[in-house]
Amino acid sequence: MTLAPTLIKLDSLPVGQSGTVIHIAPGNPEDTEDGADLARRLMELGFVPGERIRMLKRGLPGGEPLAIKVGNATFALRRFEAALISIQPE
Amino acid sequence: MGAVEKAAQAIAQFPMVALLGNPNCGKTALFNRLTGARQKVANYAGVTIERKEGQFTSSAGNQYRLLDLPGAYSLSAHTPDEMITRDVVAGLREGERSPDVVVCVVDATNLRLNLRLALEIKRLGLPMVLCLNMVDVARKRGIVVDAARLSQELGMPVVETVAVKSGGEKALVDALDGMWPFYESVANPLSAIDAVSVEETQREVRRILSVAVKDGDDRGNRSEKIDHFVLHPVMGPIILAVLMFCVFQAVFSWAKAPMDMISGGVADLGVLLSNHMSEGILRSLLVDGVFSGVGAVLVFLPQILILFFFILVLEDCGYLPRAAFLLDRLMGGVGLSGRAFIPLLSSFACAIPGIMAARTIQNPRDRIVTIMIAPLMTCSARLPVYALVIAAFIPDREVWGTFNLQGLVLFCLYFAGIISAMAVAWVMKRSMRAKRNQPLMLELPAYHWPHLRNLAIGLYERAKIFLMRVGTTILTLMVLLWALSSFPGAPEGAIHPPIYYSVAGMLGRALEFIFAPIGFNWQICIALVPGMAAREVAVGALGTVYALSQTGDELANSLVPVIHASWGLPTALALLAWYVFAPQCLSTLTVVRRETNSMKYPLMMAGYMFVLAYTATFITYRVALALGG
Repeated sequence: MTLAPTLIKLDSLPVGQSGTVIHIAPGNPEDTEDGADLARRLMELGFVPGERIRMLKRGLPGGEPLAIKVGNATFALRRFEAALISIQPE
Repeated sequence: MGAVEKAAQAIAQFPMVALLGNPNCGKTALFNRLTGARQKVANYAGVTIERKEGQFTSSAGNQYRLLDLPGAYSLSAHTPDEMITRDVVAGLREGERSPDVVVCVVDATNLRLNLRLALEIKRLGLPMVLCLNMVDVARKRGIVVDAARLSQELGMPVVETVAVKSGGEKALVDALDGMWPFYESVANPLSAIDAVSVEETQREVRRILSVAVKDGDDRGNRSEKIDHFVLHPVMGPIILAVLMFCVFQAVFSWAKAPMDMISGGVADLGVLLSNHMSEGILRSLLVDGVFSGVGAVLVFLPQILILFFFILVLEDCGYLPRAAFLLDRLMGGVGLSGRAFIPLLSSFACAIPGIMAARTIQNPRDRIVTIMIAPLMTCSARLPVYALVIAAFIPDREVWGTFNLQGLVLFCLYFAGIISAMAVAWVMKRSMRAKRNQPLMLELPAYHWPHLRNLAIGLYERAKIFLMRVGTTILTLMVLLWALSSFPGAPEGAIHPPIYYSVAGMLGRALEFIFAPIGFNWQICIALVPGMAAREVAVGALGTVYALSQTGDELANSLVPVIHASWGLPTALALLAWYVFAPQCLSTLTVVRRETNSMKYPLMMAGYMFVLAYTATFITYRVALALGG
């Protein structure tokens, strides 16, 4: 397990940095209103293991929301959504 | 059988083509390109999701029905929109014919995301065409798609289209002609879609991309460069504020000339009629009821069109989701999502399109809260009331050298609406015990130039909706009000003007009992009655009330000096405060009922707005009186 220590959560990726999606943690259904399957939804937007992503922008104040490029699409996520995504930074 | 029914039956037999694709893939532009103005916009039965159908004829003479399905990222259906799309495609929705052929529209610049949906639909086993849209943009970015290879890999025809160019749809129409004749086909069960995991589908997408697509150089693309400024933590909000300021400036300054033309034209018509008709009930109905009433409302058409022009342009070029991004934190503070920005912005023109735009908010609670506060945004229907009262009571002078006092008061009224909306949202979210984490998951599509044709079709729809309202609801109300304020006539030797003795007069005097503590006289009370049915009618109603209660020469005078003479400043300020909340236009309540599918929310809305309006007006009036205003 030499890779494990270098994995970070997407929400802590600095602006301008790239990485590869490794794993999506299932969201805690208690956290959200309708118990949405956040992990599945994120994957359907393209946050699938193996895809390259890049942090484009962060909002102010509080570094939220995040603008993240995945493939050729850009999505805005809130921090807690991004925190479900483990990435291998480059 | 009538000709209309025959035609309808013939249309029903055309093959049904379903357009399906990710949001932002240019699907609606393609739909507009194919069908032009021959569209029928309605709702799917039982839900409030827009159903757009049209027809077109190919150059070979084949006729088709075309259905524009709501955009979807996946057929596993997380949103009500996606559920409709899935059910219609699979032929599971009652009352909807299952499509004869599915056209999956994909954005050629973003196949990595778009192809997954195509693979999902393919599992349903229906006749299918893949439509590579925006190939012109893809080429410019150096993306090379081998359509023949892609077709071979996917096992379906692949055509290239440019929906925004005339003739850009030709390849698709030819492909459809080539599939003729169509036989009835039955979709595989939905479980076929979920039989393969998302990861596995994505692996397949990657494999296909590796053999059929050569990616261009994406670094430093135009959208990212623009976003560098537009989403910048400091510059972004400044750009947004400047843009919004320009939009409002345009709405109020550009609209002035056409508005003057409309009101002038209507007034001239009234004078013309007065001169050519003998005095009597009919002349009174036409001049005092129809012309002055409907004219007062029609005057807003230019403003509504200008506001929607900007909203449509900003939406079309991709700025609106960026605005939602920038405002997400701010709106999150009161428990709303950044997505609420678009409905709330539309509500400045009119709450109805705003409430309808709230459909794009996935979270049901966010959506309800957005709907409930939408009428607190100052809609342009309140402007005539504001304009009238401000012109009559607020002196036209400079403050601190640069600001105009009248403009400043108007700004405060807008601001009061926004602040109270935020407060109401906060309270509602609190009382609903909403959990803290709301997903955002908002796509920021690539920027592109707005398309004139789509813009024109969008504006045409808005104008149609507004004029139909003026022509039906408002005209009816104006005539009703005229009748109420004309009958019964004044008795012999009356000391008050005739309207005092009419039904409206009695109603107004009865209401005065409730409204006297907040400073409203019976004339205002009478105007409030139809004003609750549709806010903009209140000015027309005041016109009718005062025009009818004056005699001779005074009738020709405009309303401004009349109300200036008969109201005190506290009453004027009270009326302004009332209209910040202004419970409530019937059309809005009807739409809320339709959109929420329950009576609870429209009743709640009318109730809370009335309480807020009464309280705010009471405080305003009493404070103004105490200060000796």
